[in-house]
Amino acid sequence: MNYFPDEVIEHVFDFVTSHKDRNSISLVCKSWFKIERYSRQNVFIGNCYSISPERLLRRFPCFKSLTLKGKPHFADFNLVPHGWGGFVQPWIEALARSRVGLEELRLKRMVVTDEGLELLSRSFVNFKSLVLVSCEGFSTDGLASIASNCRHLRDLDLQENEIDDHRGQWLSCFPETYTSLVTLNFACLEGETNLVALERLVARSPNLRSLKLNRAVPLDALARLMACAPQIVDLGVGSYEDEQDSESCLKLQAAIRKYTSLRSLSGFLEAAPHCLSAFHPVCHNLTSLNLSYAAEIHGSHLIKLIEHCKKLQRLWILDSIGDKGLEVVASTCKELQELRVFPTDLHGGGNTAVTEDGLVAISAGCPKLHSILYFCQQMTNAALITVARNCPNFIRFRLCILEPHKPDHVTSQPLDEGFGAIVQACKNLKRLSVSGLLTDQVFLYIGMFATQLEMLSIAFAGDTDKGMLYVLNGCKKMRKLEIRDSPFGDAALLADVNKYETMRSLWMSSCEVTLGGCKRLARKAPWLNVEIINENDNNRMEENGYEGRQKVDKLYLYRTVVGTRVDAPPFVWIL
Amino acid sequence: MENSNSYSPYSSSSVDSTKPLPSESSVNLSLSLTFPSTSSQRETSQDWPPIKPRLRDTLKSLRLRQRGYNTALFVKVYMEGVPIGRKLDLSTFSGYESLLENLSGMFDTSVICGTRDSKHHVLTYQDKDGDWMMVGDIPWDMFLETVRRLKITRPERC
Repeated sequence: MNYFPDEVIEHVFDFVTSHKDRNSISLVCKSWFKIERYSRQNVFIGNCYSISPERLLRRFPCFKSLTLKGKPHFADFNLVPHGWGGFVQPWIEALARSRVGLEELRLKRMVVTDEGLELLSRSFVNFKSLVLVSCEGFSTDGLASIASNCRHLRDLDLQENEIDDHRGQWLSCFPETYTSLVTLNFACLEGETNLVALERLVARSPNLRSLKLNRAVPLDALARLMACAPQIVDLGVGSYEDEQDSESCLKLQAAIRKYTSLRSLSGFLEAAPHCLSAFHPVCHNLTSLNLSYAAEIHGSHLIKLIEHCKKLQRLWILDSIGDKGLEVVASTCKELQELRVFPTDLHGGGNTAVTEDGLVAISAGCPKLHSILYFCQQMTNAALITVARNCPNFIRFRLCILEPHKPDHVTSQPLDEGFGAIVQACKNLKRLSVSGLLTDQVFLYIGMFATQLEMLSIAFAGDTDKGMLYVLNGCKKMRKLEIRDSPFGDAALLADVNKYETMRSLWMSSCEVTLGGCKRLARKAPWLNVEIINENDNNRMEENGYEGRQKVDKLYLYRTVVGTRVDAPPFVWIL
Repeated sequence: MENSNSYSPYSSSSVDSTKPLPSESSVNLSLSLTFPSTSSQRETSQDWPPIKPRLRDTLKSLRLRQRGYNTALFVKVYMEGVPIGRKLDLSTFSGYESLLENLSGMFDTSVICGTRDSKHHVLTYQDKDGDWMMVGDIPWDMFLETVRRLKITRPERC
């Protein structure tokens, strides 16, 4: 099989970077498996409980970058109780004991501690990049360890974490000799920031490309920071309360004029409504704009900004932009690939900021659109059918109608046909979230047409077990299925147990599955971890004589090669 | 770890006070408070719509701030029969549970929502229309938008 020496094959493998492809080439033959093993640089583990750190190190002794994901996706929406799991500590300890030259660690939805961060900072001499997304359990003391000890740190990227802010001096822990910072994102910190230390750090970081500030960085500090770092490509503005401080405003405007490299803008966490106009001079180069936290900025100011952003590829915005604003986006942003529209009114109090009209306008105006997340109060089948016709290239389509079970507001019909049109037209659809009034029919369509679908989110939908069965039988590439408040039960759960070996995980909460059903599943599939999360009753389920028929509050199952985890809290019962 | 209905972190090295509480329909029953049966409707759902906690908090504080431009979140609280009232900042409470707990402490008696009782004081409020209503029937966030003052009634009067 091998006509070339191993080094040549290894060199060829260097060009193969995607995890899927590397997994494939490792299956070709024993020799390739071995070469691939030793040359794998980046390891991705989608579920930290599917494998153990020891087995990881045995298979890949030489990796430099590790990505780990912990809690299931619905943890983002408070559905997973605090303390469920996802602890990174055992991983850091195992890696520290080994001789792996770790350079990059990327964690999502995991529990990180200050002790873990300190161990991390001391154990890997060449550590360069720490990216934490939606993590919790640590404080600014942990950040101080990273700053103090990681001599070659390039990236410190903290996205939407819950960090206990001890009003840090962590920024002053970066040594004066340290100049290699490329990415600094601390937008999620809630406390005060040492502005002097921050300015000095930025001033001595010529390679700084991405800077995202928290709300404690006021306007005058922003102006000074921008003035000493005009090379920044990605800026997250912290606070922007313009108290008519004309000197700071002028400084800021002067600094902005020099920002020719800026491509990405975000933040405005505390923002006076009119402040966006200062950034108009740089809009024509922007490819990414995230204003999803700028809740105080009026729709009209958003529109004025977007009118200048002709090269925008990615837009995250609040629904205060309105349908009119989305029409402006549709006519201005012809390069748009990804759009997210988040809600501002959580109670559905009749404020119809964006409707199906906005969605249709975007689909008609933006030919390159492939990913959308859209929160709205109302939708129609006709609109979805039009969207499907306009945009057959969707890879990700997530629609969230705020009121559960809401039908087509014109015809009062379920939205089965609308979503059916989407899955039929979008042959590359990998991710789908459905909402509104939906019967089993929509799942028949999904099972039939969504052949590439990898992730499906279902809430308040379906009539019978048939719905879930259509999906499990039809979607051959399904990896993650998450369902809440839908009438699917044991029959659907148990119909094809081997299906779960081809998937990463299944989440079902407030459905019709019973404890008896889950137990039967666990018996049939010992290679699955079947977790029951019952916060209210703890383990009183067992004492109750009706356990067989007792409904399970939350079920989370996932394939694993290392069996039952040992760190589960009392309210998690692993069958 | 004791089996209780309240939440406690298992292994975090720091307690995060900014984390939103889980759905308050799983009320800690060890408090001497009683709610009518529709308690699951009372507190705003923390898990729908599916947005991240940070955005949820941002929107909440935005609505509170907007409301603040018209009327303050400080409301007057009177106990029936007591001429001097107190002032309370409602924005510091996460829901009815914490409000009642605080009032019970402040007035050194047990204050409840809902059913009339010969033993307990019942909490009522005046809404923006000027009407006096029973506290606890509407979601918390909606309550914050409409409440103007609070009155703790004597047991029999309600």
